[in-house]
Amino acid sequence: MTLASLSRSLLRTAATALVLATAACATPSGDSANDPLEPVNRAIWGFNEGTDILLVRPATEVYVNAVPDPVREVVHNFLINLTMPLVIANQLLQGDAQGASDATGRFLTNTILGMGGLADVATEARIPYESEDFGQTLAVWGLGEGPYLVLPLLGPSGLRDAAGLGVDTVADPARVAAYASGAKGALWARAGATTVDTRSQYLGTIDDIRRNSVDPYASLRSLYRQRRQVEINDGKATPAEQPDFPVDPAAPKR
Amino acid sequence: MLNRRLFLSCAALLAVGSRAVPSALAQSISDKGAADFINTLGNEAINTFARKDLPRPQALTRFRDLLYQGFDVPYISRWVLGKYWNQASPEQQKQYERLFEQLIVQTYANRFIEYSGETFRITGTKPLGETDTAVSTQIVRPSGPPINVDWRVRKKDGGFKIIDVVVEGVSMGVTQRQEFASVIESNGGNINGLLKALRERVS
Repeated sequence: MTLASLSRSLLRTAATALVLATAACATPSGDSANDPLEPVNRAIWGFNEGTDILLVRPATEVYVNAVPDPVREVVHNFLINLTMPLVIANQLLQGDAQGASDATGRFLTNTILGMGGLADVATEARIPYESEDFGQTLAVWGLGEGPYLVLPLLGPSGLRDAAGLGVDTVADPARVAAYASGAKGALWARAGATTVDTRSQYLGTIDDIRRNSVDPYASLRSLYRQRRQVEINDGKATPAEQPDFPVDPAAPKR
Repeated sequence: MLNRRLFLSCAALLAVGSRAVPSALAQSISDKGAADFINTLGNEAINTFARKDLPRPQALTRFRDLLYQGFDVPYISRWVLGKYWNQASPEQQKQYERLFEQLIVQTYANRFIEYSGETFRITGTKPLGETDTAVSTQIVRPSGPPINVDWRVRKKDGGFKIIDVVVEGVSMGVTQRQEFASVIESNGGNINGLLKALRERVS
C-alpha cells in the first residue's frame, strides 16, 4: 500500500467516524440503549470477562493481598501523577482555567514535594483532583457520546471516548518521553501496573455486579454512561439529565 | 422532532419553575425533614448492625424492617420495571414484586450485616421538583476515600421514603431499570424472560 493510499484510507476512516459520531449526537438518548453493535460488544465483553476471571482478577487479588496498603497507595499516586500533564492539557482545552490551575498545582506539588509523585501531598494541601481525558474534552465541545463500544481488554467505552482515548494515548508526554529514550519497557510496566491498580479499586463493585445482576453487560453499560456523565460535568449534577420520577410510576409520561 | 421535544421540556420546566416559587418556604421545611429522616434511619442502621452478636435470621429480619421503614419498595420496583409494568399481567406483577424484594434483600442485606465501622455525615439537601428532596451524604470508610451518596427522598403520607439512591453520580434505580429493560428486550419484549432471570438470581 502506498503512503498516499494509506493516508487516503485513514482520512476516509476518520471522516466515517466523524459522520457516525455526529449522527449519534443527533439521536435522542432517552431510555434507548444506543448500542447498535450490541452482538459484537457482547462478544468482546465475554472475552474481557474471561480474561478478567482467568488473569486480571487473580493477579489483582495477589497484588492486594501481598502488597501492603501504603505501598499500593504509593503506586497509585505515582501512576496518577504520570497522567497529570494530560489532565492539564485537557482542562485547558475545555477552557477550565480553575481546573487547569488545580491540575498544574497538583502536578508540581506532588512531583517536587511528593518525591516524583510517590506521595500525594496535593490532597493533603486540599488541591482537588478531577480526572480528565480527551473524550471528556470532546463532550465539553458538544460531541455526543455516540454508540456504545466495548474495547478488547480496555472495557466499556463509546465512539467519542474511544477516539479520545486514541488521542490521549498518542499525545501522552510520558509515552513520547519513553519512546524518545528507548524505554518502551517502562510503558509496558506502566500499563500492567495501571491495570492492576485500577482493577483493585473495583474488586467489590464488579463482584457485586456478577453476583446480583440479571444482565451484567447491561448493568456495566449503564454504570459506565452514568459515571462518564458525572466526570464530564466535573461532579456537578445536571438537572436536565435527572430521570423522571412521576407520582405514579406505573403511568409513565413517555 | 427534536424541536418539539425541546419545546415540551422547556414548557415543563417553566410549569415546574413557576409553581415552585410560592412553595419555596414549604420546600425548605420539607428539606430539613428529609435530612432528619435520613439521619435517623442511618443511625438506626448503624446501631443495629454494629452489634455483632445478632444471630443472622434476626439480623435479616431487622434489615427487612429497616428496608420498608426507609424505602418505598413497591414504588421502586414499579419504577424500575418502567413501561413494562403496565404490560405485565396481574399475576406477573405479583411475581415480579416478590422477586424484586428478594433481589434487593439479597443484594444489600450482607453489606449492612457485615457492617465494618462506616460512618456518614449529611453534606446538604436540594429540592428535586415539588415532592422530592435529594439528601447528600458522605459515607466515611475505615480505609479508602469517602463515598458520596445522594438519597432521593419523597414526602409521602406525612412521612418520608427513599425512592432512589445515587452513588457517586450513579443512580441505582436507573441502572437496574436499564438492566431489566435489556433482559426483557433480549427476550423479545416478554416479561417472563426477566422473571426467569430473577428467579435464577435469587435462588
